[in-house]
Amino acid sequence: MKNLLRSLTAIALATSGLLVAVALPASATTKTKIVTCFRLEKNVVHTAKFHGSCRAGWSKKRPKPAPVADDSVETPGTASLTETGSTLLYPLWNIWAPAYQSEFPQVSVTTGSTGSGTGIADAASGTVNIGSSDAYLSSTQLTSTPNLLNIPLAISYQMIEYNIPGVTAHLKLNGTIVSQIYQGQITNWNDSAIAALNPGVNLPNLKIVALHRSDGSGDTFIFSQYLTDSDPTWSSKYSYGTTISWPTISNALGENGNGGMVSGCAATAGCIAYVGISYLTSVLGDGQTYAQLENGNGQYELPTPATASAEAAGFTAKTPANGTISMVDGKVSGGYPIVNYEYAIVNKAQSSSTTAKAIRSLLEWAIDPSYGQSSQYLGQVRFDPLPVKIVTQSYKQIKEIQ
Amino acid sequence: MATMIDGYPSTRPRRVREFFFKGMSLAALIFVVGPSVWLIADVVVRAVPHWQWSVLTTTPVGVGGGLENAILGTLVIMVGVLIIAGSIGVLTGIHFAELQRPRRSGKAGGNFLRTSTEVLAGFPSIVLGYVGYVALCVGLHWGFSLLPALIVLSIMVTPYIAKSTESALRQVPTNYREGAEALGMATGYALRKVVIKSALPGIVTGLLIALAIAVGETAPLLYTAGITNSLPTTSLIHQPIAYLTYYVWTDYNQPIKATQYLSFDAALILIVLVLVLLVSSRLLVNRTQRYVEGPR
Amino acid sequence: MGDEMASSAALPATYPTRRASGLRRVGYVVRGSEEGLWRWSARIASLIPVVGLVFVLTVLAVKAWPAIKVNGPGFLSRSTWNPGSTYGAAVRTNGVLHPVGASYGAWPLIAGTLQTSAIALLVALPISLGTAFALTERLPRWLSRPISFFVEILAGIPSVIIGLWGVLTLGPLLANHVYPFFANNIPNVPVLRYFKGSVGYGEGLLTSGLVLGLMIVPIIASTARDLFMQVPPLPKEGAEALGMTEAEVARRVTIPWVRSGLIGATVLGLGRALGETIAVAMVSGSVLGTVSPNIYGTMTTIAATIVSQLDSAATDGTGFAVATLAEVGLVLAVISVVVNVVARVIVNRTSRHLAPVGRG
Repeated sequence: MKNLLRSLTAIALATSGLLVAVALPASATTKTKIVTCFRLEKNVVHTAKFHGSCRAGWSKKRPKPAPVADDSVETPGTASLTETGSTLLYPLWNIWAPAYQSEFPQVSVTTGSTGSGTGIADAASGTVNIGSSDAYLSSTQLTSTPNLLNIPLAISYQMIEYNIPGVTAHLKLNGTIVSQIYQGQITNWNDSAIAALNPGVNLPNLKIVALHRSDGSGDTFIFSQYLTDSDPTWSSKYSYGTTISWPTISNALGENGNGGMVSGCAATAGCIAYVGISYLTSVLGDGQTYAQLENGNGQYELPTPATASAEAAGFTAKTPANGTISMVDGKVSGGYPIVNYEYAIVNKAQSSSTTAKAIRSLLEWAIDPSYGQSSQYLGQVRFDPLPVKIVTQSYKQIKEIQ
Repeated sequence: MATMIDGYPSTRPRRVREFFFKGMSLAALIFVVGPSVWLIADVVVRAVPHWQWSVLTTTPVGVGGGLENAILGTLVIMVGVLIIAGSIGVLTGIHFAELQRPRRSGKAGGNFLRTSTEVLAGFPSIVLGYVGYVALCVGLHWGFSLLPALIVLSIMVTPYIAKSTESALRQVPTNYREGAEALGMATGYALRKVVIKSALPGIVTGLLIALAIAVGETAPLLYTAGITNSLPTTSLIHQPIAYLTYYVWTDYNQPIKATQYLSFDAALILIVLVLVLLVSSRLLVNRTQRYVEGPR
Repeated sequence: MGDEMASSAALPATYPTRRASGLRRVGYVVRGSEEGLWRWSARIASLIPVVGLVFVLTVLAVKAWPAIKVNGPGFLSRSTWNPGSTYGAAVRTNGVLHPVGASYGAWPLIAGTLQTSAIALLVALPISLGTAFALTERLPRWLSRPISFFVEILAGIPSVIIGLWGVLTLGPLLANHVYPFFANNIPNVPVLRYFKGSVGYGEGLLTSGLVLGLMIVPIIASTARDLFMQVPPLPKEGAEALGMTEAEVARRVTIPWVRSGLIGATVLGLGRALGETIAVAMVSGSVLGTVSPNIYGTMTTIAATIVSQLDSAATDGTGFAVATLAEVGLVLAVISVVVNVVARVIVNRTSRHLAPVGRG
């Protein structure tokens, strides 16, 4: 028996050694040199990777776009940055980080998606360089950590999606109905209140399962803000925040992260969930669809880049220099009601000036209309670019990071 | 054994109980082996169809990429825990089994120490992780890094090593110790040359099982090691380190398929790692057992 | 014991064993230089876990103290989990700053922890004992060694992978095929009503209990197997000669012989079940604020709550939510300590003498 075991192990080791010996050189030979090439189009710098040499129209030299909105991207030294936080912003960071690193390879950027709560907390405690959050800082957070900045990076919005087998229409919902669903007062999809708003839709007799985020979430923040604005009962009992005390109802599920919400809803017939727009492809791919929401003017709008930027435009003038403003449920005609700035939470006082410069460089690149704000990145997650005035304001905040 | 016809119990209730007992013990075995095989097969089935060997040699990029940072990070953490927790745990086990002054009543001493070590064994890993975060990462300003992770994991895993070392040492027949004493060996020398050598299989098995537990931990590492896309460096503090369980925990329900596959790949690599640890422990035991007459 | 003789014996330094034991002469210390090293390093090492434990408990208590002052003794029986208005004003109660409306209660968490651990033990104990018996008595040696090795592999599988399997495979399977069978066919009587009702989607109390049970089976089973192998054959053969069946031998000879060891192993398993974080967080459904109405419902345990709420708690700028989580962790630590101490008392009382060092 022992001999058998020994010989088997020897054979296994030999085989795996052979496999490794064969596979590694094989994978190495398939690597031809990859070059990063740039192209300037409509004052936007496009980046692409090619094998060997650049295609026609692209060049290896990084072009300088005409400066817009008072922003210029600094060149950093060698640094290693960590970002974590909002799961809504995470897909965009995963697009931004490799693009930024192809221009500035000396900076390595690690992204994470642990929820806006962690983003804020870790940025406050200094364990992470950049925290991402869909929610701005609260006054108590600012009191306990006065050096924190919330810097708008992009405009995103949130959809309310559902999984009703057989219903592919975009149901009309308003804040009161959603609030009653989450409070357990409306328990079935064929409830008269929902049917009244959606006369042409055949709503089945299906129990509603209300999904909420169990982690500290900026999505919860803006969702609960929408409910607070729409429903006075919700406002007095539950209010808003990155964590709230959810009403205890029988058909509720807690999920982790936007990803958890999407997959959880896909697995649960009759579910309703609030999910960031960057997950639209996954939502539609799983056979779910999203709702039209009633905005402050009584109109029902679909979540699209156009409606979101309409809503945001109504708040641009009001946005203060520190970026703290809620854009939820504004009285903007044609605007989608659940819209928010995506914030980078950064501590003004960094441990080293190299780190500070790298952070500034990354954020400046992100808010620059020629780089991070261009549609080749934001379009992939359906975000809207920041208006020029906000870019200037964010740039001023970024300059405070030392 | 005395010559016996297969003892046929005389009364029906006893026969029924006997049949029940035999059947149930085999059924129990199936209830253990079945889900374990299912578990491993499930991970393999999820991971293998989308497996690429580049997962082993690239770091995470965007939503997909590889796990090289996590694999190397896990190995580094393993070695660190082996050094720290291994030495502390084995010495603690030796203390409990051999060197503790026994009570006058003849019972072994050191109940307080032993109880507190056992209490530590049942401690929720998230609480340890959080205390490590509060006291080491934030309190001492080490940030997410290797040393807080090692310290927290060692605290978690030492009781298991101590307990298995103690039981392995207790299994060594007293004859060996008496023989060593009769030959005039000092206690420490006897320990090293005789007792520990015969208890080595048990000790090593305990070490490797404890390592496997440490490697499979997620919660304490989430709050002490952080995460990074880059390969492990030599710095013990201020530099986060990657580990495989992070990807399993974070990415398993991501709607983007590439990220989900990363999670399953990490699970597969973890299982292979654990299997390698345990198989090599078993082989080691067989090798040392060749020359030592043990109770097995 | 041998070492006592060695340390107190007053043998002359020129005892001829000097050469036999191979010790170097270091100053005036001849024998025992190595022994001293062992003794002292072992003594220091054995203090480290205690120091670690005390350190952890102290940090917990210090962090939890503000929450203890505000939450009061009702904390253990309340069922709310309300972080309050974190974006509103902060108020002071008993000198502690916290968001207005914050109110925490740990009862659902404690109940969930105890329930899942109870189910896990109920499931794991018979399976482990049955497995140990099967491995030591029933199976031929060539089969029992690989299978017991396999059980040890199960012990080493990371809990996150078991949780992964539980939430992606086992849970949905149970919810779609097994639970409805029970829920529909169990009579509607008072106690059994707990097994009826909505079966959910696979995440819940029973699934968590089963997954936990699977996780602690290897711990109890491999220890039980080792203990059963240590039982000397003579008493067992004697019992069999008296005409006892195998079941009776197991029940009346084997198990009493190793009872204290079994209790120790069970406590170790229980400790693992109480503190298990990630697997339960994945499979429990993470619903705060209520105790599950039936056995399939979603719930949460203390450990799972800490890992799922820690990030959101950190956004409470007053630090009150984090302090509450520390308090909850302290509760779990106390439960764990109490369980272990009780088990040790049982072990010490029932064992005539501690498993002696090597029999024969």
